[in-house]
Amino acid sequence: MDQNRQGARASYVALAIFVALWVLMPAAIRRLNREAFAEFQAPALHLLGKSRDMATFWEKKSRSTEEMAAAGRDLARINAALEIKLNAMDDVRRENIRLREITRYVVPAEYMSVVARVATRDSSSWWQRIVIRKGRNDGIRPGAPVVFGNNVVGRVTAVHLTTSEVDLVTSPGFRCTAYLEGDDQNRIALVNGVASNSLGTAKARVSVIPHDYTPPAGQPARVFTTGMGGVFPSRLLLGYLDGGTYSTQVGNFKESLLIPSRDLYNLQEVSVLVPLHPNPGEALMQGDQFQ
Amino acid sequence: MTMGWAWLILTLATYPWLIGADLASDVFASSSLTIFVSGACLIAPCRRLRRWQSVLFAACIGFLFEARRPVPDGIVALALVAAAIFLSSNRPLLRNTPGMLRAAVVVNILACLCWYLGAAFIAPVSAAEPASQLILQLLVAGLAGVIVLLPIALTQNAVMDRLGVPPAPETP
Repeated sequence: MDQNRQGARASYVALAIFVALWVLMPAAIRRLNREAFAEFQAPALHLLGKSRDMATFWEKKSRSTEEMAAAGRDLARINAALEIKLNAMDDVRRENIRLREITRYVVPAEYMSVVARVATRDSSSWWQRIVIRKGRNDGIRPGAPVVFGNNVVGRVTAVHLTTSEVDLVTSPGFRCTAYLEGDDQNRIALVNGVASNSLGTAKARVSVIPHDYTPPAGQPARVFTTGMGGVFPSRLLLGYLDGGTYSTQVGNFKESLLIPSRDLYNLQEVSVLVPLHPNPGEALMQGDQFQ
Repeated sequence: MTMGWAWLILTLATYPWLIGADLASDVFASSSLTIFVSGACLIAPCRRLRRWQSVLFAACIGFLFEARRPVPDGIVALALVAAAIFLSSNRPLLRNTPGMLRAAVVVNILACLCWYLGAAFIAPVSAAEPASQLILQLLVAGLAGVIVLLPIALTQNAVMDRLGVPPAPETP
C-alpha cells in the first residue's frame, strides 16, 4: 500500500515537472504534436465523409424512375432560366471591364476556387467550425475565404495535409468589414462572431453601424463584404440584419445581430477561394493557425 | 511485448467511440454543444492497466480531442493524465459499477470544465451568459459519461482480455 502511495506521489511530481516543461517548450514542438494527432484523425474523417456521401448516393439510387424524371425536368427548367441570367451577366461583365479600363481601376486579387466536401461540423460556445476534405495537398492555405455560391461561409483557420478547419461566420474568431444594404454612402461596419448561447442558433454581431442608418423597409437588410483587407472578395453576402439595430453603450454607433445567409450546419459542399498570390494577411495567419 | 503496447492498442480500440462522439457533436452542432466522452474512456483502462500505461493512454485520448479544436495545447491531455494517476492509485474507487459510473461522471465533467475554461481563456470575445452555457455543457458531459461508460468499458475490457491484461482485483 505504501509502495502504491509512493508511486502515486512520484507520478504527481513527474506530472508537475512535465507541465513545467510543457509550458516552457518551444511552440513549434507543441504545434508538431497537435499536427501529428490531427493527421492521425484525417483518414477517419475522410471515411466518415465518404460513408455519408455513399449513404446519400444509395438513398438517391432507391428513388423511382418517375421521381428522377421529374427532378430532371425541374433541373432543365432551372438550367434554362440560368442560361438567360448568364447571358445578362456576360453583358454586365463586358460593361464592367470597359468601365475599369476607363477609370484605370486596380483589379482585385484573383482567386482559385477549390470545391471541398464537408467532413464534420463541430461547435460549442467558443468555436463553430467545419472540417473539409481538402487540405495543403490541394493548394489550400490558411486565411482563405470559404463560400457557398455568393454566400460567405467562413475562413480557413488551420490546414492539414488532406483536411482543413474552417471558422464559420458565427465563430468568435471571425472578423471582417461589411457594407449594409440601404446605406448609400457605403460606410463600413464590422462583423464578428459571438460566443453563442447553448441550444441557441449561432449568430454574429454587426457593430459600428452609423447612427443615422435605417434599414430598408419590409425586408431584412443584407450585409455584404467590402473587399477591403484582401481576404474576401467584395459584394459577397454575409447574411441579414436580425431585427432592428440598437444603440451601443458608447452611443455613437448602433449594433445588430447578423443571421448567416445559409444554414451553415447543413452545408454538404463549399468552395475555398485561394488567392493566386499570397497576401500579407496570410503571413499573420501562419503564426496562429492553430488557435 | 503485447502488454507493453496494450495502451496503444487500447487507444486504437477506443478511437471509434471518440469518432462516434464527434458524429454526435456533428448532429448537435446547430445547438452549440460538444459531446465530450474522453473522460469516460479512462475508467476501464485505469482499473486494469499499469499506472504508466494509463498515463500514456490518457495523454493520447486528450491530445486526440484537442487536435482539431481551439483549446490551449495540452490542457485536456494533462487534466486526463492527472485523473489517470489518481484513478490508478485509488483503484478501490472503481471496484464496482456504481463507483465506475460515479468516476466517469466526475472525470468527464472535470475534463470538460478544463477545456471549456481553456477555450474561454483564449477566445477573442466574451460570452453573453457564460454561466448558463457552462452548466449546460457540463450537464451534457455528465450525462454522456453515464450513457457511454458501459459500452466503452465493455469494448475496452474485451480488448484487454485478448491482450492478456490481468483482470482488476476484486479487493485491491
